[in-house]
Amino acid sequence: MNKRFFIFCGLLAMLTIYFFLDLVGDLGRLSGGWANLVVFFNESLWPPEWSVLEAQSYPVCEARFEFTCSVAWLGMVETIKIAFVATIIGFIFALPLSILAASNLSPISIALPARILLAGMRSLPSIIWAVLFMIVFDVGTLAGICAMSFYTVGYLGKLQFESLEGLKNAPLESAKAMGMTRFETAWLVAIPESANHLLSHLLFMFEYNVRHGTVIGLVGAGGIGLYINTYLKLAQYDKVVALLIVVFLVVVVIDFISMILRSAVNEESDVERPSWSSIFLPGAISSALHPTPMKRNVEHESE
Amino acid sequence: MVEELVHLHNVSVGYDEPLIEGINIEILAGDVIAVLGPSGIGKTTLLRTIAGLVRPLAGKVELAVPPRGGLGYIPQRLGLVGNLTVRGNVEMGTRVGLSRWYPPFLPVPSIQRGFVDQAMVDLGIDHLAEQPVRILSGGQQRRVATAKTVAQRPKLVLADEFLGELDDDNVDIVMRTVNQAIQAENSAMIMVEHHEELAREVANRIWRITDGRLVEELKR
Repeated sequence: MNKRFFIFCGLLAMLTIYFFLDLVGDLGRLSGGWANLVVFFNESLWPPEWSVLEAQSYPVCEARFEFTCSVAWLGMVETIKIAFVATIIGFIFALPLSILAASNLSPISIALPARILLAGMRSLPSIIWAVLFMIVFDVGTLAGICAMSFYTVGYLGKLQFESLEGLKNAPLESAKAMGMTRFETAWLVAIPESANHLLSHLLFMFEYNVRHGTVIGLVGAGGIGLYINTYLKLAQYDKVVALLIVVFLVVVVIDFISMILRSAVNEESDVERPSWSSIFLPGAISSALHPTPMKRNVEHESE
Repeated sequence: MVEELVHLHNVSVGYDEPLIEGINIEILAGDVIAVLGPSGIGKTTLLRTIAGLVRPLAGKVELAVPPRGGLGYIPQRLGLVGNLTVRGNVEMGTRVGLSRWYPPFLPVPSIQRGFVDQAMVDLGIDHLAEQPVRILSGGQQRRVATAKTVAQRPKLVLADEFLGELDDDNVDIVMRTVNQAIQAENSAMIMVEHHEELAREVANRIWRITDGRLVEELKR
């Protein structure tokens, strides 16, 4: 830590305070804000209205568990479905685009337009894409899927081309010297070599899309956000809070599952990664599937 | 007449500043050349220049080998794909012997599969065929990199310290296999090596780099 570092931090702090005061203007406006929030919270938000977890009165619920006919369940499942389909569609388009955008795999004349395209798709938030697609397809899940897919291509494409650009040089140079085509290099070297990162980004994107599904639902693009939007319009804030708690819990669960899956594929330095079966299946079944456990230096040589 | 594979015409190699200047040399079929010299003198840069990965600062490098599959390169860090199996890596060498339009997602034809199997047997790594390369030891990975190049059957092999981390037995296995491949294909090899005794043992020509010049030594 040298003097320059502290000067830099000080300047950064001063700039932040200056911008804040410039934007907020009169700090006096904040007085009484907390009290307003407390009143609003007590009168409208709390306690949450848990009837959102009960079966809807119409259509008549014929399911074994009535809970599965509730607004919260139906909305959340639809949001997860939209996120899943959009993530996979987005991935299918993002991967080739990210290969074209990676400067170590494509010439700059191809990489630059590919990057601009990805930036363009990313610069419009998914809520704006949702509005645009609703004009095309009308209100509903199709608009939601398209909006989320477009944003996924832009966002995932950027994550992926940065991963591809971080590849070690030696395998790429070896492939180039051998005379492999760009497609061969991408397929046989770049994708397998960065597979762990690509998969990790894919899982992150799914988790992100589930969270974002609530936002695009607000403009009518399906999922739980559609119900949240309806309750907001009807000023039934206690139901909104109940749905937000459901979303929060689902996101926590997905985040947790995603964390486990990502830790299985994120391989830093020499740390050996477990097999997928060893995470999901009991030990005996897993060992039956993998009779030879992966060990480093399978044959210890005296070198 | 012996086939000329590479001719360097007054070549200077380096990045911003030349590391080696005025290289005029030819490489003939059957040559096994060891490049010697202290660290940082430009040995790897010379290999990379011949491989076409770095442009020469001056002069001209003439390669009389096919642009696809004619040159096999084993970089210092081996250039293997850690997440692929040993077989997947060795197969990669044979793919450049196929048409450039052959889809990389299809398995290689049976002839190429034969080259792969033979190379793995010759280098004693056939029992590791289905193991991912990332879990292998350094010495095993070197044998995989060699197998990949042997299966490729190039006209010119460029190898950067590829015998490091190998014990005496494995050096023998690797060099015997490489020599057989060179004779079978009537090709040549340039290898950067730090161990002078080893280099003199395995090579039939010695290049030494001193004071920014490449000098060919007479083999004792």
